[in-house]
Amino acid sequence: MLWIALHLPLLSLESFAATLAANGDESGAERPIALLEAHRIVSANAAALSLGVKPGLKRATALALAPQIVLGQADPNRDALTLLPVAHAALAFTPSVSLQPALQPGAAADTVLLEVQASLRYFGGLERLRRAIGAALGPLGHRVHTACAATAQGAAILSRVEPPPQCTDLAATRLALQAAPVWLLGPGREHWEALQGMGLRNLDDLLVLPRAGLARRFGEGLLVELDRAFGRRPDPREPIVLPASFEGRLELFARADTTEQVLQGAAVLLERLIAWLAAQHAFVRRFRLLMHHEARWQSDRTPQATALEIALAEPSRDSAHLLLLLREQLARLRLPAPTLELRLQAEDITRRAPPNVELFATSQSEHEGLTRLIERLQARLGPGQVQRLVALEDHRPERASALCEARAIDAGSAAGGRGGRRRQRSPAVAGAVEPQAPPSSTGLAARPVWLQAAEPLPERAARPLLDGRPLQLLSGPERIEAGWWDAGLTGRDYFIAATPEGALVWIYRERLPLSRSAHEEEGSASGWFLHGRFG
Amino acid sequence: MDAVPAPVSALLRRPPLPGRRGALGSPALDTSALGTPATGTPAAVPRRAPETLHPALWLGHQLGRSAARAVASGFAALDAELPDGGWPRRVLSELLLPHPGVGEIRLLAPSLVAAQRAGRPVMIFDPPADLSAAALAGLGFDVEQLLVVNTRARVIPGSDSLWALEQALKSGHVGAVLSWLPPRLRSERLRRLQLAAHNHDGVAFVLRELAAAARPTASPLRLSLHAGGADRLRLSILKRRGPPLEAPLHLALPPVLSEAARRRAQSVLQPPARGLREVVFVNLA
Repeated sequence: MLWIALHLPLLSLESFAATLAANGDESGAERPIALLEAHRIVSANAAALSLGVKPGLKRATALALAPQIVLGQADPNRDALTLLPVAHAALAFTPSVSLQPALQPGAAADTVLLEVQASLRYFGGLERLRRAIGAALGPLGHRVHTACAATAQGAAILSRVEPPPQCTDLAATRLALQAAPVWLLGPGREHWEALQGMGLRNLDDLLVLPRAGLARRFGEGLLVELDRAFGRRPDPREPIVLPASFEGRLELFARADTTEQVLQGAAVLLERLIAWLAAQHAFVRRFRLLMHHEARWQSDRTPQATALEIALAEPSRDSAHLLLLLREQLARLRLPAPTLELRLQAEDITRRAPPNVELFATSQSEHEGLTRLIERLQARLGPGQVQRLVALEDHRPERASALCEARAIDAGSAAGGRGGRRRQRSPAVAGAVEPQAPPSSTGLAARPVWLQAAEPLPERAARPLLDGRPLQLLSGPERIEAGWWDAGLTGRDYFIAATPEGALVWIYRERLPLSRSAHEEEGSASGWFLHGRFG
Repeated sequence: MDAVPAPVSALLRRPPLPGRRGALGSPALDTSALGTPATGTPAAVPRRAPETLHPALWLGHQLGRSAARAVASGFAALDAELPDGGWPRRVLSELLLPHPGVGEIRLLAPSLVAAQRAGRPVMIFDPPADLSAAALAGLGFDVEQLLVVNTRARVIPGSDSLWALEQALKSGHVGAVLSWLPPRLRSERLRRLQLAAHNHDGVAFVLRELAAAARPTASPLRLSLHAGGADRLRLSILKRRGPPLEAPLHLALPPVLSEAARRRAQSVLQPPARGLREVVFVNLA
């Protein structure tokens, strides 16, 4: 058995700082931060310590020493929520991950234990595994002390020793433990003063004492923990179980007025989501960001929360990409009120092999890149603005092609291999034009690339005018008469005409008196219309 | 139109190098010219022409070269006048045209279709009118694989279209880009796009209004397109890496008209052009 203990010495400060990050303060790390419990400072960050704020001070004293200090309430629940993603990230390396209970009752756990003996070979040795764990925890932004030991309790104790020793077998573990201070044992902390008074400083000192006497004075618990640390007593651990769906919560320290502030908080939650996904080697397909708003008045009609649903074309676990999508979506959103709390929920995930990392671009990476590009464009411009051209089988030129929304995943697959050409049909025409082949360049008349809404043209000396200059008819007429089966009955004689410079345009003359009179009401007497240009 | 223009002025500008008279910068001749002095007079150090030193060097009278392969435009006369013999990759090519429908799609179709044939997507940004699928299919496009991005629907115009274009260029996953830019675009915006285009391994065309010709551009290639008769395109190269091109090129586009109609068009459209030329002649006299 080989255990790795991840100890987060600054967990409560970091979990508080995460709620501050959403306040749009870039210098969050430099700001003095301290946590209060029962009006006394319990922990302070380096900036606060350098200003003289120490644990144990009263609130007023701390404020007098450092007026700019940010004081927050210690909150074990918040700390527990912050530690959970660390455990999730560790689950990617071994299934048996457990939380070491806190030393003091009531406080949140701050140590995660991993049993890694079975994972060593897969990850290429202890050193590489530790580096991989460090890299996986990096985005969560915690300071982590890592210790290895042959027993779970031993690893938990050693992870608090500075610097944490790395012991791979039981003998080395016992040796390192003998030098560890006695207050690192849970019950030892309660009896710290008594133990100190008896001159017992290290675990070594406890070992040489008669066990019966120790148990009588300090309780059975001390001995149990001691034996577990030294590997003389079984130490069963309950591995944590990954929840089936993700729900991250972040209560902001101050209300967020801008989307940028919301985004900073959401980035923290996204990193937690990614840790949860990494634990099960999964990729998220859609997730939801809930922004709980401040209720300004009792009678206020502002909704309590705004939900932002983000669906991905290609399941992803890339925090940068997810954040970018979130940013674009948030930029489009108008929030009714300041945000107090953020929730991130995800259920829809997909499991698959992780993508291969490639040195050179391949069709696979190309496909993924294009999918992401289209996703990004759609996130900002709206899904309907990235379109695909579809040829329809209809003789009326304005109905022969249509634009339909391009689905990012389809467009991506176009990059890899060319899909077969699928012709769609306008539903009404399905039977009517079956025998005719779709118009193509060979044999049938040419069609202009640019089609525009029919623009009436004036006429002078029996010649249509475009921009006040006469057009020369070159080819035609080509009669297009279709649409009797639906409301859009058209009968037109099309001509290809040239402007004086030689640009070719496509004009038509209404043939049917019925529709012609309709156009005449609009003020065009000639019956000539400009319909397209040959690009 | 297939020869490099103005060889006479080029010769006048060249410093007189002994033994290198006939070289004229062509690589095949150049090596032989270098070879002869080495065997004849061993003392003479062969001076190498600058253009043989590095692909990014060229003389003022030559067409520019670059390390990137160009994409053949499909028009031999045009390829001969473009640096590297085709549309450049990784830069924006600027086309100025008075209005849509002078033959711009037929001009660009061969290079865009080539990108599609290579299995890479072609993106069209803000086309000025509706595109006809049948016409594009006739030009060889795989119509269903064309991506049309419409960025002008938003409330604030301009910013989004450039953003979208920049994203597409930066991503490097798009085979070819064809974009209609908003009018009166500031040149620093275009410079930004030009920088983004460095990541784009393929052709990128931006189509702008003719009035932009008066303003400077960051793109190394700028053409203006006009209709030059039925199924013909008059193309002037306003800017390129190389000497200026005095006379516009006349390109025969893939025909829309039938043979008979084209002959008719020539007879009808020719007289005003001839009359104009006569006026010029009278003025010179």
